Amino acid sequence: MLLELQEVSKAYGSIQALRDVSLAADRNEIVALLGPNGAGKTTAIEIALGLRSPDGGRATIFGGSPRSTAVRRRIGVTPQESGFPDMLRVGEILAFVAAHYPRPMALHDALADFGLDELAKRRAGALSGGESRRVALALAFVGNPELVVLDEPTTGLDVESRRRLWRTLRRFGQDRCVIFTTHYLEEAEANATRVVVLDRGRTLFDGEPEALRGRVGRRSVSYVGANGRVAVRPEDADEYVRTLVRSGNDFSDLEVTRPSLEEAFLTLTGASE
Amino acid sequence: MNDLALLRAHTRVAFLDLVRWPGYVVPTLLFPAMFYVLFDLPFARRHAGIADVTTLSFMAFAVVGVALYQFGVGIAQERGRPWERFLRTLPAPAGVRFGARIATAMIFGILTAGFVAIVARMLTPIDLSWSQWALVAVYTLCGGVPFVLMGITLGYWASPRAAVPLATACNLLLAYGGGLWMPPDDLPGFVAKISPYLPTRQFGDLLWSVTGYAHAAPAIAGLAVYAAIFALAAAIGYRRDEHRRYS
Repeated sequence: MLLELQEVSKAYGSIQALRDVSLAADRNEIVALLGPNGAGKTTAIEIALGLRSPDGGRATIFGGSPRSTAVRRRIGVTPQESGFPDMLRVGEILAFVAAHYPRPMALHDALADFGLDELAKRRAGALSGGESRRVALALAFVGNPELVVLDEPTTGLDVESRRRLWRTLRRFGQDRCVIFTTHYLEEAEANATRVVVLDRGRTLFDGEPEALRGRVGRRSVSYVGANGRVAVRPEDADEYVRTLVRSGNDFSDLEVTRPSLEEAFLTLTGASE
Repeated sequence: MNDLALLRAHTRVAFLDLVRWPGYVVPTLLFPAMFYVLFDLPFARRHAGIADVTTLSFMAFAVVGVALYQFGVGIAQERGRPWERFLRTLPAPAGVRFGARIATAMIFGILTAGFVAIVARMLTPIDLSWSQWALVAVYTLCGGVPFVLMGITLGYWASPRAAVPLATACNLLLAYGGGLWMPPDDLPGFVAKISPYLPTRQFGDLLWSVTGYAHAAPAIAGLAVYAAIFALAAAIGYRRDEHRRYS
C-alpha cells in the first residue's frame, strides 16, 4: 500500500471529525475522497500527510511515517488554500519546490501541463484566484512523485483548467497513485478508479464508482405507452422490460437509467441517520 | 538532495521575497545609518575616539533591529499562513527552514550594519585597523545571537498584530537603555542603573571592547545568559504553536 489509514479517529474538542476511518490507496489507483463539507475529508488528508496527529489509529505512507523526509520525497501535495509569498515569481516557486525532489519534472513541462507558460514570470501577488489554484496544483506534480494528494483540486478552476487537470491526472495515475478530495459527485465518478464516501467522520462506502451506484440498485424504466409516458422504478428492471415486451403492447422511447451517483450518495448518507 | 542545496534554495526564496519589498528594504537598511547621521554625527566628526564608539553602537542597533523584525515580526505574521503549512509537506527538515531564516537575517544584518560602517568611514575620522574591523565583524554576528532568539520568542508568543508594535518598543527601549544612542554615562539615573543588565548594553560593551572602551568577558557572559533564557522561551513558544496548529 502506498498510503494507509488504519482506524483513525480524531476529535476537535467535542466535534468528532473522524471515527475509525480506514483507507488504503495503491499504485495505479485514483482515489476520490467524497463527502459534503465537514465530512472529515481534509482532516483525513492532513492526518495521512502527518500535518495532524490522530487521537487513535495509524497513518503510514510507503509503510513509513508521513513526517519522514525520505517518505515526503515520494509524495506531492497541493495546498488547499493558495497563498504564496507575494513577491516570488511563478517559475521561482515551481523551481523551489522541484529542488526538493530527486527526479523533478522539467520546469517547462510542469508549466505547460497546467497552462502556466505565460505566467512563469508573473509575481504570485499578481495572480488571479484561478491562476493561483493552477500554480498550487502544479506544485503537487512538479517533483514527479509517486503519490499525489490533492485537497479539493477543482475549487476555483474554470472548465478548461478542470479538463486539463483530469487529463494530467489520468496520465499521471498510471503506475502511480493519486488521491483527491471533492464534494462533486460527477468528478469522483468520472475520474476516480475508487471512491471513498465520508460523512460526519465515518466511512459510508469504499469501492468502485460502479459498485457505489449498485448499492442503491434500482434502475428506473421509462417509456411512452398508449396513455403517455410511464416512469417506474421496479425491483428488477430487466424482468420489468421482459414483461413489457412479452405483453405485446405498443411502446416507444424506452429508457433504462441507472441511479446517479447523487442518488446513491443521498441513499448512503440517509441510511446513516 | 543534500541539505546544503536545500538550505540555499530556501534562503534564496526567503531573501527574494524580502528584498523585493522596497517598504522593507529601504527602512531596514537606512534607518540605523540615518539615526547615526542625525544623532551622533555632529559629535563623531570631532574626535576619532567618539567616532569609533558611536559607530559600533549603531552597528549593534542595526543588528538588533534586523533580528527583532526579521524573526519577531516575520515569524508572527507567517506562522499561520497556508504557505508555511505547505512548506511542512515538502521533503525538507525543519532545520533547513530555520537555517534559511537565520541566513537571511545574517545577510540583512551584515548589510545594515555594514551601511553604518560605510557612512562612518566616509563622514567621520573613525580609526579602526583591519584586524579591529575583523573582530567587530565576528562580535557583531555572535552578539546578534541572543537578539535572534529574542526575536524568535517574540514571533511565537506575540499575535501577528501585536508583533510590530512590540518589536518596535523592544528595539527602541533597549537601544536607548543599553546606551546605543547616547553614551551610557549620560543616561538619566534610573536608566543608568539598569543599563548594565540589558542585553543591548552588553552587546554594546562587546563591540566597544574592540577599542578598549569596555571589557569583553562580562559582556559575553551576560549575552550568553540572555541567549540561554531566550532559547528556552523560543523553544517553549515554538512547541506551543506547533501543538496548537498541528495536533
